[in-house]
Amino acid sequence: MSEDIQLLIDDVVAKALAGDMDPINNIEDRVTRSKAKAALVKAKRFQPQIEVDSKSVQAAEKSDTESKQTIEQIVIASLSKNFSDFLDGEQNNDWVQIKAENWFDIAKYLKTNEDLYFDSLQCNTGVDLEQGMLESRYNLHSMKHLHAIEIRIKVSIEKPDIPSVESLWRVADWFERETYDMFGINFTGHRDLRRILLPEDWDGWPLRKNYEEQETYHGIVVPKVKEGWE
Amino acid sequence: MGLLENRFDDNIVVEKLDKLLSWARSTSPWFFQFGTACCAIEMMAAAASRHDLMRIGIIPRSSPRQADVMIVAGTVTMKMALRVKKLYEQMADPKYVVAMGSCATSGGPYWQHGYHVLKGVDLVIPVDVYVPGCPPRPEALIEGLLKLQEQILEGRPLTRKTG
Repeated sequence: MSEDIQLLIDDVVAKALAGDMDPINNIEDRVTRSKAKAALVKAKRFQPQIEVDSKSVQAAEKSDTESKQTIEQIVIASLSKNFSDFLDGEQNNDWVQIKAENWFDIAKYLKTNEDLYFDSLQCNTGVDLEQGMLESRYNLHSMKHLHAIEIRIKVSIEKPDIPSVESLWRVADWFERETYDMFGINFTGHRDLRRILLPEDWDGWPLRKNYEEQETYHGIVVPKVKEGWE
Repeated sequence: MGLLENRFDDNIVVEKLDKLLSWARSTSPWFFQFGTACCAIEMMAAAASRHDLMRIGIIPRSSPRQADVMIVAGTVTMKMALRVKKLYEQMADPKYVVAMGSCATSGGPYWQHGYHVLKGVDLVIPVDVYVPGCPPRPEALIEGLLKLQEQILEGRPLTRKTG
């Protein structure tokens, strides 16, 4: 395409965008005219997109300024209407610390409530907090509202019972089995709570801080020569 | 050999039957094809076209009953150790074991903190050749297998005590 024709097309497209279609229709050469029309369609398609983009950005900014509540605060407020005495200790803005007793009902509420709708359990892990406490952490995410939250539940190491949410989120089956395998947290109500990685006859819970390696396993000696290695 | 010496024509070689059997065996040590960790990738590379284990008579077999050599390629966990032992027991005599890589020889990087790792496969089954490396290159594995072939050649299958 020669430069003259390009200039002509730019000119008529600019006029057409301003609302004057005559210059395009008056082009005598058929090929040039169709090229100009194609350029016009392209330009029109590009223009409204920019407007939509700026609109959505404005809307997002607006909603940000309107709702300063974090998702944790929203969840706590929503739960407070339906449950009493479920929080465990002081709260902060990064997670929600709750008690183990009502966890199954709370989880069911979190999953089914229309405004929260945490339909995806993304991870469940355990932590040994020492001082006789274990913790189970749940990372929930909502595919519908695209918000996420972390739930933490502390239990004592003597009686590490937490209600299982395996029947709510199917993925929790293996997550909870792994947490059970590594930390010995007992998920009550789990339909198939067995060790998942280690052999079933393994002694102890390996990721607890006070774990000690067994000396033999099925007659296999575990050498414990550790001098000069740290 | 005094009895047989100079009693045959020139085109007949007199040797021990042991040596014939050892020679035949050393040039066809079929290995049991299984890998427990990343060393298996190098073992596959050694068996593939560039290094081509088949040119020294070594062919992967997928059943322990058809294999002479077990290459323990990779980390052996405690859970796996019992199964490795069972597979070794399923192989027919004479059988040989190559411990490939530092995990199979000593536990490797899991020596100190790997509560679940077997600290060397020789705690469970007898090992003939150790190949160091993490993981060893295919050349190293081939070197180890050539050493194993030498060992087999020196062996005396008819007089060897098994078990």
